[in-house]
This record gives sequence, structure tokens and C-alpha cells, in this order.
Amino acid sequence: MPARFLSPREAIAEFVSPGLTLGIGGMHMTAAPMSLVRELVRGGVRAGRLITSPSASMQADLLIGAGLVDEIISPYVGFEHLGLAPCFRRAAETGGRPRILECDEGSLSHALYAGAGGIPFMPCPPGIDLTDIPRVNPEMFRRTGDPFTGEERWAVCALRPDVALIACRETDPLGTVAFGRFPFTDRHLALAAKSLVVQVERMVTTAEMSARSPGETLPGFLVSAVVVAPGGCYPTASPGLYHADEDEIRAYLKAAKDPEGFAGYAAGLDATEDAYLERVAERPGVKDAR
Amino acid sequence: MTPGYDSFALMAVVMARAFRDGEVVVMGAQPALPLAACRVARALHAPNLWYIVGGSGTVNPDPAVAPDSSCDARLAPAACALPLTDIVLLEGRGDTLDVFCAGGLQIDAYGNCNLICVGEWSRPTLRGPGTVGLPFLPAVRRSVIYTMAHTRRTFVKRVDFISGPGHPAAHGEERPYRQQGPSLVVTPMATMDFDPETRRMRLASVHPGVTATDVLKVTGFALGMPAAVPETPPPTDAELAALRRVRPRGAAGP
Repeated sequence: MPARFLSPREAIAEFVSPGLTLGIGGMHMTAAPMSLVRELVRGGVRAGRLITSPSASMQADLLIGAGLVDEIISPYVGFEHLGLAPCFRRAAETGGRPRILECDEGSLSHALYAGAGGIPFMPCPPGIDLTDIPRVNPEMFRRTGDPFTGEERWAVCALRPDVALIACRETDPLGTVAFGRFPFTDRHLALAAKSLVVQVERMVTTAEMSARSPGETLPGFLVSAVVVAPGGCYPTASPGLYHADEDEIRAYLKAAKDPEGFAGYAAGLDATEDAYLERVAERPGVKDAR
Repeated sequence: MTPGYDSFALMAVVMARAFRDGEVVVMGAQPALPLAACRVARALHAPNLWYIVGGSGTVNPDPAVAPDSSCDARLAPAACALPLTDIVLLEGRGDTLDVFCAGGLQIDAYGNCNLICVGEWSRPTLRGPGTVGLPFLPAVRRSVIYTMAHTRRTFVKRVDFISGPGHPAAHGEERPYRQQGPSLVVTPMATMDFDPETRRMRLASVHPGVTATDVLKVTGFALGMPAAVPETPPPTDAELAALRRVRPRGAAGP
């Protein structure tokens, strides 16, 4: 069956009902599917649980600020050299939503691999046992015996998002998608998800995509819907096309320092994603992606 | 008289000296300092050093203008970029990676690092970003800890949350990986290492213009004090020249 090409609004309306477990890709300030995330904010669509890459930034903080995340599984929410994540921080320090399911990069990667492969859980390599993480997250970490040696080990549960939202560089007409420079854990997130919505910068022909193969790709038969949104990762980076706009991210961090400022920022996201992308089209690098 | 270099330059050079030829170094978020250190080491005494930059997985990137983010595409082109899921496997197997460059909101006398929270986890006074890969610290041959904040808030008696394990406090405690653990701590004021007997942090050298008393004042636990504390050798001309080539965008040059 050929892939379905939808607008951000159509894709969210069809695939994300309130309360689902959402996986959202992109690592640090690179390749976050921001067009889809902004559409969640506009629609006020609540995630029962949000699973991020090993390091999330604005894709998580924006949803948290909008009060749309009940639980989060993320080994990092922050902005590297630009600072801490204001909404994530405020939520944790005031006892607000989301509830945090503390984990680390390795356990998350193994949990998604397990979810992708029908593996019920994954025993953890040593290291996690020397931290306080399993102690505060009994929902994800449990003790189990190694059936071969009899040793006790920590295990992490398998994770399967109901829907994964990721950003890739391009699609062909069949919905086969190619990543930009780095796949991070987004391929595992996509493989583990029950349905998959991929935001891309552009459409190319199958011949063009084949000529660049083998890159990091996912076949169209795994892709539930493709959203073509040139500039859609903005203000995060789309690798090879445009860099993160650190001025815009700094402006967000400043605004989101308090709930009123955050509300003002969220209100400035435009009524539609088309209008937003039209407005940011003149920013450095974004125009080249269009 | 100004010394002709700043804290970043001195710290980068000190870290570079700690990397040995042929080693494999991994670094995480905000890689500017360890990335500069690796590139300096490679240009000078460790031409066969390998280094992996965070989530990008790029191996030995040598960009004309170094980005500040560990996932920035400007780290490419690199001959190899490991998928992050592969790096997690290499960390777990515990016999491939030599040096992990780590930091923390809090660092304690045993080299435990905490990137998660200050105060009670359930209601912290400061919520940090999260631990990312630090639980793998004991799986890597040794770790180098660095922080730009040498304060009593950072250097605490006991971290409020262990997110990056340091040395075991109890003598004779068995560790799952037989690695060296934290070996070096680098701050804008001093370098520190760990007493092989007590496994507690001790002062190793003070940077030019800093006294041992200055360091004790801003360290929140009883720092081990050798009979004589040498001064950190300042950067050589060759080190400064190598650093000038790799300095991240936006940072004041040496």
C-alpha cells in the first residue's frame, strides 16, 4: 500500500488520540519533528506517556510547558550549552506534571530494541546497579535471575510507543524515508512503535534516493504517514540542511522561565503550521530547505 | 600580567595531557572542552587517539569550526559515525573504551557524579537535565571528570543522587567491571586525583595564581592534601598553537 501523505494537522488528528504513549525523536537540538510537536500544542493533545531520544530539548519542554505530558521517559531534557529546560525543571521542582520515569541512555536504547523485536524485557549490563536510578523507577527496572549463571541482574521493560513521531530528511513517493546525518535512537524508536508518522523536509524520486543508498533509511511499509514540512525541524537543526537557530531557542528559554512567559510563547506559534513555517522561512538556512 | 590563556585553554591542555596515544575517548553533551582536548592531544603527543562525540557518534571529527552541541551536523564530515545504539553496546561490553569524560551538578569525594537532582529526587530543589550515559562510567577503563564550577555546591560530601558511579566507598567492595574508575578531576582552579588506598579525591596540582587554601575553601569535603602541591604546568606554546586551531566558535581565543 502506498504511504499516506498528510498535513501536520491531519496526521495528529488521525494518529494521536489523547492519552497515548508517544515516542518523539530528535536528539539535543537536532532533528526534532517540531511541526508535529507544535500541532500537538495547538490541538492540546495530551500524551499519557512521552518517550524521547536519550537527549530531548524543545520537543519535550514545549509539550511539558503546555501541560500535555502525564509521564515522561527521558534520560535528559535540556539545552546543552544554552541551559536547563525551564518547563521540565519547573514541573519537577514544584511537583507538577509530568511524573518522571528516571532512566539512562543505555536502558532506553535496550528497552526500545526489546520493544522493536518482540523481546519481553532486556537484562541490563552492569553499571545501572551502582546508581540510584532503579530505586526510583521500579516501574521500568526489576530484578531477575540470569537463567545461565543464576546471578541476579537488573532488567528493563520493553518499550513500545503507540505512535512514534520522528523527523527525517526526505521521502520518496512510496514513503520510504531517509535520515539526515545521524539516526540517534530514532530508528529503534520507529521500529518499536505501533504506528509511525515521519516528518520530512522534501520529496525526492525513488531513483534519487536509490542513488544515495545505502543511507540510514526506513522502508515505506513501516511508515503510517508522511508529513512533508520544509523547515519543520525549526528551531532545531535538520542535519545537512539548516542549523539550530540558537537565538530563537534562547528566546524560548527566556520566555519559558515563568508560566506566563511560556503562555505568550505558545500563543505566538500561529494558528496553523503552514503559517508558522511561512513566517520562519526567511530565517538562516530554512529557506534553502524549501 | 595576563597569562595569555584562559581557564578553558588551561583545562583543555590539562585534559589533553591525560590522554595517551592509542586510547579511545568518549564524551557526551556540551563537548567543547573534551573535544578541544582530544584534538590537541592528537595534534601533539597522541596522533593515534580515537574520540567519539556524544549522540552524533562521530569518530575523530576535525571540523573547521567546532560546534557547541554534541549532535550538530557540523561535526560531520567524519570518516565514521557510530549509531548511538552501537555506542551503548560498546559501553556495556566494558573492554573497548578507555576514557569517559564526565561531569555533574554535584561531584563527591569518591568521584560519584550527579546530573539528576539536588535535594530529594521526588521534590528536588534543583532538577538537572538527567544522566544520559553516566551509568556506564564504571564500564570504561577510567574517567576524567571536569566542571567549570569549582564551588561547594558542586563539590559535595555525598551526591544527593548517584547517576554516574565513582569509586566504591567501602573497601574491598567488588565492582562488576574491573576498571580504574575516576582518575582525574579538572576544574578552573586545580587538578585532583584519587588516593589509591582510601579512593578519596585529593589535590594533585593548583593552577597558576591559585593556592591550596583557595581550593579547600571552595570544596565541600575534606580534600586529600599531599605534603607538597605542585603548580599545574601552564600551556606550552605548542599546546596553545594546537588549541588555537580547534577553539570552538564564539569562545575567546587563547
